[in-house]
Amino acid sequence: MTRGVRSIAEAVRAGDCSALDVLRETLDAIAARNGEINAFTAITRERAEGAAAAVDFTRAAGDDPGPLAGVPFAVKNLYDVAGLPTIAGSRIDRAPATRDAALVSKLTAAGAVLVGALNMDEYAFGFSTENTHFGATRNPHDLTRIAGGSSGGSAAAVAASMAPLTLGSDTNGSVRVPATLCGVFGLKPTYGRLSRAGLRLFSASLDHAGAFCRSAEDLALAYDALQGPDPDDPACATRRVEPVLPTLGRGLDALRIAVADGYFTSQGEPEVFAAVERAAAALGATRRIELPAAGVARCAAMIITSIEGAELHLPDLLARASEFDPKTRPRFLAGALAPGAWYAHAQRFRRWYCQALKDVFREIDVILAPSTPYPAFPLGQATMEIGGQIVSAAGHLGVFTQPISFAGLPVVAAPVAQPGLPLGVQIIAAPWREDLVLRVAAAGEALGVFQSPSPVSMEVVSHA
Amino acid sequence: MADPFDPARYVPMAASALGLPLAEEDMREVIGAFAVLARVANVVMSFPLPEEVIAAAVFSPEDGKAQ
Repeated sequence: MTRGVRSIAEAVRAGDCSALDVLRETLDAIAARNGEINAFTAITRERAEGAAAAVDFTRAAGDDPGPLAGVPFAVKNLYDVAGLPTIAGSRIDRAPATRDAALVSKLTAAGAVLVGALNMDEYAFGFSTENTHFGATRNPHDLTRIAGGSSGGSAAAVAASMAPLTLGSDTNGSVRVPATLCGVFGLKPTYGRLSRAGLRLFSASLDHAGAFCRSAEDLALAYDALQGPDPDDPACATRRVEPVLPTLGRGLDALRIAVADGYFTSQGEPEVFAAVERAAAALGATRRIELPAAGVARCAAMIITSIEGAELHLPDLLARASEFDPKTRPRFLAGALAPGAWYAHAQRFRRWYCQALKDVFREIDVILAPSTPYPAFPLGQATMEIGGQIVSAAGHLGVFTQPISFAGLPVVAAPVAQPGLPLGVQIIAAPWREDLVLRVAAAGEALGVFQSPSPVSMEVVSHA
Repeated sequence: MADPFDPARYVPMAASALGLPLAEEDMREVIGAFAVLARVANVVMSFPLPEEVIAAAVFSPEDGKAQ
């Protein structure tokens, strides 16, 4: 099963294959590959069979089965799925959800078929998906390496062709980091664009819902089905749906594209910056632009995340800290002890920063920046040496993503075509301009500079 | 601004004030994690902001009605 969102939906809508056939292929792929990847924590087989049969019935009756008819999808296990406990990577008891998260309902209404829930760092507080309770998710391109996190299961499932579409969430880079390390396209829309109703949040000021696919066009199709206001999420904007598919193929036209300078040119391995330069050359981006106080933005994001995350789980930290993953527990406990002035100042800085970025977007339309500072590292590696400094190998993965999500800007993390371990770039635009980041991603794909590689090990499996 | 914290002293005291039990085996790592937070907080607190810069609030008093 290596077909994408568009090809499946077109085939099912045309009657060239049934949604049940697609589902069977998907469940076979999961059965064959999930054992070594460990992306799925639950398979919703019964529900999926019912949903696929309903799509086939709708089509047979001559009705429209929806723009995503028969497209299998899976969600990070912090999304509510009716009947499943929303574990969010934790072992602390949780009653089954009584209804689906808003975005699960939207995809289902569009004809897509939920096949399961996906592994993540506990409560989304991590960049490596080395979950002590449920095991690490392994990178499909090299099973000895991390998939990235915290939406690691979501990225790995798409990279290993176990699902053409998955949902995740991004607070500091949790869509963009695993998308990059697994070599798939990840979309983190503008803060407030997609409803988070029915998600177990981590840091509500910064949490975004996002999606993973193998192409920009597939992401655009899914994104158009996911948009829309929702009073159940107080941060969700009241904007109308602004479809991106109609302008996806417009190309680079007169877009002013710049490469992020200064902060974004160090603290990573040389191959990362070389990948950005290759993308810039292909896209004709000759300008360079410096984002004001990007390093401060990363620090402020860490403060807000730590304090909001700790507050959310404070009752459990007080009553049963020993049941937390040892990988997250010290950081949650530390966040619970932070002084209030840190938080208030970080929130005030956020507004200053967003105002300053407005000036940047007067001069340019799209910014290219590295996505991660290095490719996937081996499972269990604790530290990394960068520019003579020893840093936390997982923690440092967010160095380039955090200053962008802190401003809530829309981003596509796009994989740069190259041999070896996957690497990627962030394609960034002004708030609410998802159309531009997806358009540039599609243009780069057409030029051959962006491409989601097929893992070598998976090719062996699929021909077995 | 000078770093006002000695995390090794502050962490046990603040945890005790909050009634947050810290297991002995966690103490070293929590102090380490707090030291990281204190370091990044120092960067944030050292960035001067005029009083007029107010945080953008998502809160809306109309929120309850919309539902």
